[in-house]
Amino acid sequence: MTQMPRKALRFLAQGVVVAATFAMLAPVVYMVAMSFRTSEEITQAPLALPETLYLGNYANALSQMNYLQSVLNSLGITLSVTVIVSLVGSMAAYPLARRTNTFTRIIILLAALGLATPNFVTITPIYVIFRNLGLLDTYVGIIIAFSALNLPLAVFFYTSFISAIPKELEEAARLDNCGDWAVFWHVIRPLLGPATATLSLFVMLMVWNDFTYPLLLLTDPEKFTVMISVYRFVGNLNVKPEMLFPAAVLGSLPLLVLFIIFQRRIVAGVTAGAVK
Amino acid sequence: MGSSKRIYLFTLPAIFVIGCFFVYPILLSARLSFTDFSGVGLAEWVGWKNYDRFFSRTRYLYSVWITIKFTLVVVIAQTMIGLVFATLLHRMPAVRNLCRAVLFTPAMMSCVIVGYVWQFIYSPYSGGLNALLGMIGLEEWQRGWIGDPSTALYALAVAHVWMFAGYTTAIFLVGYANIPRDIEEAGRLDGASSWQRFRHLELPLLAPSFTVNIILSTIGTLKTFELPFIMTRGGPDRATQTLSLEIINQLFGNYKFGFASALSIIMLIIVIAVAVLQNTWLRGREDNQ
Repeated sequence: MTQMPRKALRFLAQGVVVAATFAMLAPVVYMVAMSFRTSEEITQAPLALPETLYLGNYANALSQMNYLQSVLNSLGITLSVTVIVSLVGSMAAYPLARRTNTFTRIIILLAALGLATPNFVTITPIYVIFRNLGLLDTYVGIIIAFSALNLPLAVFFYTSFISAIPKELEEAARLDNCGDWAVFWHVIRPLLGPATATLSLFVMLMVWNDFTYPLLLLTDPEKFTVMISVYRFVGNLNVKPEMLFPAAVLGSLPLLVLFIIFQRRIVAGVTAGAVK
Repeated sequence: MGSSKRIYLFTLPAIFVIGCFFVYPILLSARLSFTDFSGVGLAEWVGWKNYDRFFSRTRYLYSVWITIKFTLVVVIAQTMIGLVFATLLHRMPAVRNLCRAVLFTPAMMSCVIVGYVWQFIYSPYSGGLNALLGMIGLEEWQRGWIGDPSTALYALAVAHVWMFAGYTTAIFLVGYANIPRDIEEAGRLDGASSWQRFRHLELPLLAPSFTVNIILSTIGTLKTFELPFIMTRGGPDRATQTLSLEIINQLFGNYKFGFASALSIIMLIIVIAVAVLQNTWLRGREDNQ
């Protein structure tokens, strides 16, 4: 007898929680809805839904913010950073996972220093160093800066991953007279696929969304990443809704699509990176 | 076989990168902080002058206070909200994954876009929040949320918490998943109510998740820059002038590279001190429970 009301109550409670979490999406829905309205419509009825799908805002944003070029820039930078970080990070992680001594402890401490340092602490000297080396406003410069920023995490990521690989797998290769490099390249490296996938998603997120480095290190509009294009297009403190909302949708869309596809892997990867 | 020293050569590229982009810049920053370097020309050694300036002017100490206040508000609110959602979702396996993904969505967005969208939500004229308040009959609450010095910092905190609450929830859910099932079963068999199980079983066992969440959100919030930069530029009346915003202003507004370096070193010391203190305190708390 008491089973039915309890079940109904449980169902109701779940409904309330689901509704509460979806309420958190309100600003995102607002952003999408407003992008299809003209600024007069928004001024007259700030909360109304779009009556027609007005696409003029998007046409304007696409033609003015150099969107495709900046998406290509962001993708190219992300890809380069992922390759560098995964190669340099996994190489360093191999000895760190297999040996424990003063030397490896110092490296781990250095990586932890890199992880703990807010990029504000290093932004002044990096700006000065890049200027002296002629790396300001170059793809090479921004790729190096992002690689350095993501490397410490990659080192920790791969170290915990390689530690879980059984040593027996290496020993067979060693008996065949393989050197350290051959073992790393032919035995360890092929097993790192899942870790690299998670790391790539993390780097993608980080590079796509970061604002500080490209703001300070890039000045040529042809080299802007997506977020800098959004920032330059939307502009100052008095934001115009007909420019803001389509730019916000265009800037978020690629990552939101990626998130919907790889949702489980991203959440698992990001929390695992945090918990370890 | 195992004594091969050549394996350490694998760490050389990483040592090079970390040395060039973390160790050397921190040392350079420490050196620049004792000079009056202005970005170009020669730097003159000025001793402790930059640090004297920081400690003798209330405006810089005030931006440290703003940063700490913002961090406290965000970390407390975010931890509480994350804990509530995770506790509810832990008891609702049917909707857990869907809700976790929905809550996590804002964390996928850039601070720049989140900042702009919330700036418009808060705007005094056609902004969504005031329109909403008008619709439900709370006209007297309407205001320019980020134009009013008494609400600006809290308005930024709401946007920040909105963005990262799902992240905190996800980490707490990992903590919940690590609680052995038989402990929960035993509690249930002993007739403990849902609240009693939360208070006496789960809360103590979640101590490691509290540690991770609090340290991560503290460090993330201490260095906050994008939201105040986009939404308020430190205003109104310096109510949202965080330390990182001050560093960027000194650097690219005033070209005071030397002073900006001193602020950076102070920030590094604050971040490391807070991380070490929290780590000691929270890990100690884990052991006591």
